[in-house]
Amino acid sequence: MFKNALLNFKKTALKSSILMVAVLFAGIVQAQDPAEGETLFKQNCTSCHAVKRKVVGPALAGVQERWADKALLVKFIQNSQAVINGGDAYSKELYAKYNNTVMPAHAFLSDAQVGSILAYVDVEANKVEEVTADAGKAGEGAGSSEDGGISATSIWTLILVIAILFGIILVMNRVIGTLERLILQKNGVEITPEIEQRGEPFAGLKQLANNKRFVLIASILFVITLAVLGYQDLMKIGIDQGYQPKQPIAFSHEIHAGQYKINCQYCHSGAYKSKSASIPSANVCMNCHKYVQATEKYNGNISPEISKIYAALDYNPETQAYGNNPKPIEWVRVHNLQDFVYFPHSQHVKVAGIECQKCHGPVQEMKEVYQFAPLTMGWCINCHQETQMDHAKDNAYYARLIKAHEALKKGESMTVSNIGGLECVKCHY
Amino acid sequence: MENTTKYWKGLEELEQSPAFVEANSRGEFAEELPVENLLNDSVLESSTPRRNFLKAMGFGMGAVTLAACNRTPVHKSIPYLVKPEEITPGVATYYTTTIKGEQVLVKTREGRPIKIEGNKLSPITKGGVSSRVQASVLDLYDNGRLAEPMMNGAATTWENVDAATKEALSTAASNSKQIRVLAASMASPSTQAVLDQFVAMYPNSKVITYDAVSNSAIINAHKNSFDKAVLPSYNFANADVIVGFNADFLGTWISPVEFTKQYVSKRNANYLRENRNMSKHVQFETSLSITGTKADNRVVIKPSQEGLAIAHLYNALASANGASSIKVADLPADKMEQIIATANLLNSAKGASIVVSGSNDVSVQILVNAINSLLGNYGKTVDIDNVSFVKQGNEAEINELIAEMSKGEVGAVMFYGTNPIYTLPKAAEFKAALAKVPFTLSFADRVDETAALCTVIAPDNHVLESWNDAMLQSGHYSIVQPTIAPVYNTRQAQALFLNLGTSGMNYYDFVVANWKNVIYPKSGASNFTSFWNKALQEGFATVASQVQTPKSYSFNKDLNQVADSINRASNVNGTELFLYESVNMGDGASANNPWLLELPDPISKVTWDNYVAISKKQAVELGIQDEDVVEVKAGNYSITLPAVIQPGQANGTISIALGWGRTAAGKAGNDIGKNAYPFIVEVNGSHHFATVVEITKTGETYPIARTQIHGSIEGRDIVRETTLSNYKEDPASGSQSSTNIHMYDLWDEHRKDGHHWGMAIDMNACTGCGACITSCNAENNVAVVGKTEVRRRREMHWIRIDRYYTFNAEGTSTSKEKEYNKLEDFENISVVHQPMMCQHCDHASCETVCPVLASMHSSEGLNQQVYNRCVGTRYCANNCAYKVRRFNWFNYADNNEFDFHMNNDLGKMVLNPDVTVRSRGVMEKCTFCVQRIQAGKLQARTEGKPLADGVVETACANACPANAITFGDINDPNSKVSQLLKNERTYYVLEEINTQPGVGYLTVVRNNKA
Repeated sequence: MFKNALLNFKKTALKSSILMVAVLFAGIVQAQDPAEGETLFKQNCTSCHAVKRKVVGPALAGVQERWADKALLVKFIQNSQAVINGGDAYSKELYAKYNNTVMPAHAFLSDAQVGSILAYVDVEANKVEEVTADAGKAGEGAGSSEDGGISATSIWTLILVIAILFGIILVMNRVIGTLERLILQKNGVEITPEIEQRGEPFAGLKQLANNKRFVLIASILFVITLAVLGYQDLMKIGIDQGYQPKQPIAFSHEIHAGQYKINCQYCHSGAYKSKSASIPSANVCMNCHKYVQATEKYNGNISPEISKIYAALDYNPETQAYGNNPKPIEWVRVHNLQDFVYFPHSQHVKVAGIECQKCHGPVQEMKEVYQFAPLTMGWCINCHQETQMDHAKDNAYYARLIKAHEALKKGESMTVSNIGGLECVKCHY
Repeated sequence: MENTTKYWKGLEELEQSPAFVEANSRGEFAEELPVENLLNDSVLESSTPRRNFLKAMGFGMGAVTLAACNRTPVHKSIPYLVKPEEITPGVATYYTTTIKGEQVLVKTREGRPIKIEGNKLSPITKGGVSSRVQASVLDLYDNGRLAEPMMNGAATTWENVDAATKEALSTAASNSKQIRVLAASMASPSTQAVLDQFVAMYPNSKVITYDAVSNSAIINAHKNSFDKAVLPSYNFANADVIVGFNADFLGTWISPVEFTKQYVSKRNANYLRENRNMSKHVQFETSLSITGTKADNRVVIKPSQEGLAIAHLYNALASANGASSIKVADLPADKMEQIIATANLLNSAKGASIVVSGSNDVSVQILVNAINSLLGNYGKTVDIDNVSFVKQGNEAEINELIAEMSKGEVGAVMFYGTNPIYTLPKAAEFKAALAKVPFTLSFADRVDETAALCTVIAPDNHVLESWNDAMLQSGHYSIVQPTIAPVYNTRQAQALFLNLGTSGMNYYDFVVANWKNVIYPKSGASNFTSFWNKALQEGFATVASQVQTPKSYSFNKDLNQVADSINRASNVNGTELFLYESVNMGDGASANNPWLLELPDPISKVTWDNYVAISKKQAVELGIQDEDVVEVKAGNYSITLPAVIQPGQANGTISIALGWGRTAAGKAGNDIGKNAYPFIVEVNGSHHFATVVEITKTGETYPIARTQIHGSIEGRDIVRETTLSNYKEDPASGSQSSTNIHMYDLWDEHRKDGHHWGMAIDMNACTGCGACITSCNAENNVAVVGKTEVRRRREMHWIRIDRYYTFNAEGTSTSKEKEYNKLEDFENISVVHQPMMCQHCDHASCETVCPVLASMHSSEGLNQQVYNRCVGTRYCANNCAYKVRRFNWFNYADNNEFDFHMNNDLGKMVLNPDVTVRSRGVMEKCTFCVQRIQAGKLQARTEGKPLADGVVETACANACPANAITFGDINDPNSKVSQLLKNERTYYVLEEINTQPGVGYLTVVRNNKA
């Protein structure tokens, strides 16, 4: 019903001229400043309202047409309950329609400020057409540049440049050779005819090949280089440091952990009570993203990435209802330990109080998560050898071990390795 | 005191048969490795051209390089969409439920059940759990289960099943035909209520309760004796003298886990230390059962002598107590002597004794009632006011059913938990009669022998997928709750009956309503929700108003008829066959379970097979050796099975286990062994598990996989026992080594400043039941290897129970040359069970020989085996004095050669995610459940508390129905394990070689004179 009304309104609104609408309502509220309105709107309204979309409360586009008494609208915004209890029919109807959800009072907003907000709403509501077109264009542009990545042309250009440079080197070489010969001739040095040299272009190399010492040194160098390179390469097998797979949802830790400073534990609650830190289930996302839809960045549309959560849960943001065709999100695992390693997160995070960043790197700066640490056994062992057991003092479990350590190695600080932290079955079983 | 008793694991060892000597002389490799084929002259001397060598080298290098170039596979991580609140990935969740009469906890990880443990709060099973119940979790993941309902051999929908049933039942009703439900004892009040509703709706219908292995004679005898048709509850914990007649109450009889808990409470380390006394157990039996192995006196009788023995016992007690005796045939003098001695024992423990018989002959059970009544045991150890409901079967009704069916009077039959075509002795008759029933329905979870003949198969949920309840004993209500959504499109049987009605209630609502309306009002609780939630949480609810103070009953019936019947039954000639339930296989319902199939029989140590147990004397007379195939014939039915010469088997008798020879159990269990149910005969209206047979040697042989002689003790002093009288004089008697020990340490002592994990095993409590082995298999992802590999001594079990025999015959000289005087001596033997697993030696012989340090010692006293380091030299196994290391000769997972649960996705769901699945070429062994140790320590650290005793428990210790295994921290002086290791009875196996094991054993104490 409401949706239909909204659509009808949109059609009529578009038919009438934008200017007309603006002029019509100009006199009702004073000192309208859409810029101020934007700030106020974002501060106070976005958690429950969007301009063109129903969130918790109704979509605001056309709100002034729907209210017969504009002054009442302002009052409603400032204190909705007062208006409803005052007996206004429309506000009562509205209240019932939205399941008696109370709109908090905004008494701190002056009439002028409410006016600004309404002005902003109108400006936004009327922007619709041109803006979507722009967004489409922008999207296309971004898409094409992204698709190419390092484009084929640039590679070809690079190859061409290298080829030209190589050519120049060859030519220069030739020139230098001719010049040298000329100088030598001038100095009266006898030179072999050019024709002969042309027949034996690699005479120099041949000469070098006959030089046994050179050959020996060259081959030793060659073997060493090969061995070093080979060793380095072999040591990289199975190490995926820097691994940064593309995830099904472009979830940015930079925004969540960096910008909004959401505690890691909020989503990765398992890290404090289980072996696995665990990827949060989609219902955790929904705690915020039921309302946070980043529409301001997508011109009033729900962020396409957030929509993926809705799609996974088969959630309809319009009706706020869950369907029965959910589809799990298949994240790509970034940190893969071998199957014979058992790493308990809670031991490190909860008991030892180690920061997540120590192993996972600056996650709060990662747009897309990558593997920060090499995750090799050497890396584990290294940390176990260096890390002081500072947390053990306040933990009654360690009392016996601390006592034994004191008796055995008076004064020396205790590291993880001192209490068996290097033993095989601590991780392998 | 020096121990001179000679222990032997099997006849091969006793007689040092050439095959045994040869096999054991090879040390680790019982089978020759085919090295000769590789290193024979032709190979060594053949010239390998340089080019071929280079080609092979090049190819090898290339292949390795290519393999190494493999990109790291992309792993997906798929979280819950909506995570259930109680689940934290990586943390196990436990639910209570009830399986086969045992109250248990089900351990689930990420929503799938992976292990079944005992419920320590349970007033009945008190935390113990049997092998069969533990293995039932594997049945859940059996891909041989039906995936959907079937009708006339084709898949169908549940709507069609309901419609067809409704129609068939109304047709039957309108034609005034009978409707029958043949159900196994279920002891479920709610299911009973559902069936009562059903019967009320169709007045022509009747529910017949039928158990494959019946105890109906006890029920009928109590009806006869005291006019109460009940199965008593027994309390062995109140008995100072226990006398059993062919009743394997520690293995299979009625409620073995409950009885084991009770039985050991007067025989375990604590009781012995505090009271310097223990109960006395006399067992009269035909074949060697685990109950018989625990007996202080074991008297061998034939099945035909059982009634007479009980009658003579009655007479002896009657004359001492002024009751009239009965006239029965005589028994041999030596048996009479034992019976008189037993009667004297019982007489001295009136009201604190118990006599039980496994016989299913009513007249025998009436006599048992008379004896218990004479001894004043009713109300003390035998309770018929608070009764057991686990067995309610009644064979008389089966015969009626067959008659009705063959007359065409039955319009519909439904089979719920029963498989009569396999388990009925009159299966052929039943099959013919069944053909005359127009509508047949089976609730079997697979197309079993009976379901194959049914119009409709409506597969029931596995118990781990079901809601239900159970009343195991009067006033003790148990909860059955699901731990996983149905794996297949199956449905609880009760749903069909509910759908036939008009209410359309689902069964969960029905159970809750039944508890609310029937059970809760009796409980006296003030709030149903909290009553129900508490029951769900603890797994049971005790309704005090239904638990009565047991009364004493006195028997005063005429015994003349009984005497006649017993005389008649004893009058047999020829070889007697004794049929029994094996501890592992039970009645055969879980015959497709690879864990149970590979679990060695507690007595014979045979895996993967059924066999004929025969006495040594008869075997010699008939010229039969182990693995000779014999034909056993009674009437029209005959089967051929391999023979196993069983010490302790009564001469002139053979024993065959029931529960084998399934033809439609599934890929693992089909056609293993032979079906012995048809040998059952009817005596006095109930199924009798003994008959007379002809036995002939066929001349063929059949290979059997038995683990009993895998490894030899080489005459070393590793089993120690004493008698109660010696123990009273010196508690340390028997625990000292017979060899002089000189300790020289080659190695430095390991420091163990934090924990020092250790184990104590009370061999006097251990019954050898094997629950620990199944628990270990489930916990540690131990592979099933199959019969062929077991024959090659490649079983993977991390824990085994060594079973040692000794001769009892007095005056028998035990010398190396002649260990026994006459073949009859093989009847009269004693048995010791010794659980054996990695001893976690401080000076471990395996650790010193590993070239890659894959076997290491930890600062907590653990002998660590590092799979990712192991290169499979097997030096450690060769050097292990206890023979507890197991080598992975193959990849047992994802290998079609080992088509057990680890070869399919569904079966793999049972794997414990906290334990690595080992791959080929790697050595493995008991880890002391290090994953549980780590989890326990982590929990303590998280809470910031010292680790409390009992928090960390190994899987074997956790499951043990006898609490024979105690695990804990030796560094904690107050822990149970350090207390037990300080016990005078404690000794260490092979302590003379100074391996300093971390596992201590407590001597066996026998309450007999010698």
